[in-house]
Amino acid sequence: MISLLQHAAQHCWQHISQPRQLAAAPECQTLTVQLSLALGEFSLQLNNSLPLNGITALFGRSGCGKTTLLRAIAGLDRHANAQICLNETPWQQGKQFVPVHQRRIGMVFQESSLLPHLSVEQNLLYGFNRLAKQTAVRLQPEQVIRLLELTSLLKLAPQYLSGGQRQRIALGRALLSQPQLLLLDEPLASLDQQSRSEILPFLQRIANTTGIPMLLVSHQLDDVVKLADQLVLMKHGRIHSQGPLQQQLLQPELAAIGAMSLLHAKSQGSHNHLLQLSIGQQQLQLPSPQHSVDANYSATSYRLRIQARDVALSLKPLSDCSVSNQLQVSITGIHPAPHPAELLVQLELDRQPLQALLTKQSADRLGLQIGQQVYAQIKAVALD
Amino acid sequence: MPEFLTILSSQDWQAIQLTLKLCLYTTLILLLLGTPLAWWLSLSHSKLRTAIQAIVALPLVLPPTVLGFYLLLLLGPHGAIGSTLEQLGLNHLAFSFSGILIGSVIYSLPFTVQPLVESFRRMGPRPLEVAATLGASKLDQLFSVILPLCRGGFIVAATLTFAHTLGEFGVILMLGGSIPGETQVLSVLIYDHTEAMNYAQAHQLSLGLLITAFAVLFIVYGLNRRFEREAIL
Repeated sequence: MISLLQHAAQHCWQHISQPRQLAAAPECQTLTVQLSLALGEFSLQLNNSLPLNGITALFGRSGCGKTTLLRAIAGLDRHANAQICLNETPWQQGKQFVPVHQRRIGMVFQESSLLPHLSVEQNLLYGFNRLAKQTAVRLQPEQVIRLLELTSLLKLAPQYLSGGQRQRIALGRALLSQPQLLLLDEPLASLDQQSRSEILPFLQRIANTTGIPMLLVSHQLDDVVKLADQLVLMKHGRIHSQGPLQQQLLQPELAAIGAMSLLHAKSQGSHNHLLQLSIGQQQLQLPSPQHSVDANYSATSYRLRIQARDVALSLKPLSDCSVSNQLQVSITGIHPAPHPAELLVQLELDRQPLQALLTKQSADRLGLQIGQQVYAQIKAVALD
Repeated sequence: MPEFLTILSSQDWQAIQLTLKLCLYTTLILLLLGTPLAWWLSLSHSKLRTAIQAIVALPLVLPPTVLGFYLLLLLGPHGAIGSTLEQLGLNHLAFSFSGILIGSVIYSLPFTVQPLVESFRRMGPRPLEVAATLGASKLDQLFSVILPLCRGGFIVAATLTFAHTLGEFGVILMLGGSIPGETQVLSVLIYDHTEAMNYAQAHQLSLGLLITAFAVLFIVYGLNRRFEREAIL
């Protein structure tokens, strides 16, 4: 147990040192879960300690037990012999079971869960009005309303809102109950593309400004890579691996879905509509985001999502090529890809991992070897 | 109308009063007992549920005389409950208001439970889970979520129970007989008037009951429509 906690503390420290701006002091929490249940084909066997800091994605295929785990953490389902502790506080242990309403969690469900008989404002304040007297109020209603841009919706009935707006209110309502931990059960799954874009930036904004750790259940790798700091990979009712998202993306299970990488870059301002970014000593230029939703929260660091297929390698820097973003990288690994004709080449720059998907033929032609310095041409980047 | 009222005898008025008292008590008792029962039925996955569901629905299919007959055996001076009460120095329950109240509660049970089960199912567990994660205790959930969201179900359950008790005849006749002021409710009195060839008096009371029953049902269906519309919006 002690070693697990130490491990958790180390994790957190590593994380803080990563380039992500946190306005509020980050809270490092550790969730310890022991859970064992079998229902016909389905079984869940967990004995893990999850360090929670920033956004932790609980990722896996549908039916691997993500939601079951989340509901057990919330206390919505009570399983025999389970043990769940947040930091030193046992939520379930032996006969002891802290009921849901006494756990300081905020939960956002998959589909709209606004109470239909209450207005938006009454929904927002439902948890806030029920806070125990001794609870320290860190988030005031005005702050949350401003943060989630809800002012114009306050007097409306939930029935008249779009899916994205409803989820934003559910999020605000959960935040106002001053949770120690936010549990998000596929909050984007029931939304169309338009509605997703109405809520994604807000999730990032909340993580950045409130410092409340979030556990996000998702089966969409894309969402996870946009949002998460940590990734817990679940497979067949077990936790397969966990750790910082950047490293986790190298897992063969995730590479099989669509190999990609995440790079953290610092902004150096923009010039001629081109955003100047730096990773260590190296520079990148990308078209500035056209309509930044977060204009008020000007970013100093960006997350770059890069598909492994959009990375090409060359032995020398190319000058007669339209790709202007070239980074010097070193090869750290060469692995088989899902397709028999392809290879997944693992690269590193400024201690951040990058992956490139090449054909075996090209790799042979270039004579790629581990430890070799090469140039990565990055053809497309998604900016978050 | 005043003329109509003056025609009613004091016996008629007594029966009207008794009927209203019976309906009111039955409705209140059933709302208290029926709500937890309906809640359990709407949630439980227990094997017992099917059996309980069948028992609750029995009064819908059983002739009231059968129900009244068994209650008479049970609550009468020689029945298990009746004789126990006698031994305790109390009265047995046959031919008493308490007896017909028990009969009414059992007879109208499905009319309380089924609309409530229906509305609890329509609400589903999610709103309560939401409320719990926001710090609402079970009791708080009852008042801040269940009652407002299932308001329609409660109103329909209460009105149907009231109206159904109003029309109760067989159970009361079997269990309570026709004692003025104690068990002689409107439906029984109408029967007595008819037996005695007092057609005019039977007619007045019958027409009164008919209009009341229609009005109650009209209101119930009107409310039902309104709540459905609200649910859709």
